Amino acid sequence: MSVTNQRPDFAEFYRRSRNDCLRAVLVNVGDQDTAQDLVAEAFARAWASWRTVSRHPAPAAWVVRTALNAGVSRWRRRRREVPLPDPGILGGLPAAGRVGDDPVDPRVMAALLRLPVRQRQVVALRLFLDLDTGRTAEVLGIAPGTVTAHLARAIAALRRDLMPVLPQETSS
Amino acid sequence: MNDDTLLTAVRDTFAGVRMDTPPEQIVRRARAVRARRRLPRVAGAVAAVAGTAVAVTALLPASHQPETHLAAWTVTRQADGAILVTIRQLTDPAGLQRTLRADGVRASVTFDDQQNPACRNYSKPSSALTNSVIGMPLGYHEPTLVIHPSNLPADAGLQIEAGRLEHPSQGGIAISFGFGLVQASQACTGS
Repeated sequence: MSVTNQRPDFAEFYRRSRNDCLRAVLVNVGDQDTAQDLVAEAFARAWASWRTVSRHPAPAAWVVRTALNAGVSRWRRRRREVPLPDPGILGGLPAAGRVGDDPVDPRVMAALLRLPVRQRQVVALRLFLDLDTGRTAEVLGIAPGTVTAHLARAIAALRRDLMPVLPQETSS
Repeated sequence: MNDDTLLTAVRDTFAGVRMDTPPEQIVRRARAVRARRRLPRVAGAVAAVAGTAVAVTALLPASHQPETHLAAWTVTRQADGAILVTIRQLTDPAGLQRTLRADGVRASVTFDDQQNPACRNYSKPSSALTNSVIGMPLGYHEPTLVIHPSNLPADAGLQIEAGRLEHPSQGGIAISFGFGLVQASQACTGS
């Protein structure tokens, strides 16, 4: 029996939100394989609890939150380690200006990974899940004002780090 | 470049990141999740009885002093200098942090999704280095971390987080760990 036949709305939810969830988690863990694994696990848990998750006001945020919380599940990952965000991949950064095979410009990823964890979480939820301040605050369990402050600091840091990297607006 | 343009430019750099796991694989994994939930409260479930500490002691490898037993967690130093941390209940993270620091491990310990805002990623990150310092050993019936303090660089410390995963269908709670290297500092790791 296909996924679609079993839970059509889950299949549609997965199709629609999987890339954004992966991107949001990738920003936080810094490694694509780890992010894929965590997001797959979170979607699996969503499927297993779909009756509940489907009623969540922001199911994609539930998936991202679950993926980030999963980190290491002792039950499931006895043979694996999933450390906290550790930009270990940055040790092998390509030379400046060269992106190589990495789907994300490593300089952008490095700038994101330099942000404190909370700022990164706020940026990820705002950027990829398009959550507003209130919903972001709800998902992260912090005050809306704290979300605003984290976002402002994150933007300032990214601007400082990335202005020489990102394409610039031109004026005529 | 205004804020929206900056964020849009950052978001656009992720356009090539795609989740390539087929939905069928998610469903297979979900069935494993369900099967796991049907298991009796096995390794990882939070121990609710005080006698568990004794059982844990029996499960741990032979060690020399110091050894501290508390209901919530256990810290044991082994003969080779490695330190085993077993967490059963998410209480008293400050006590665990103090115990690790007293054992010479620069550490920040938080539970229940709390984080120390003073902690920063380690400036010379390496997954291999992290794995040489901290990991989850096999063969323990309770959530256990092993720390090798001798592999910890002088300017680095450990950040350890533990959170709970609730499984209301069986009334159990699992402990999940997150850990990694951070820049050593008074505010984050104590020194």
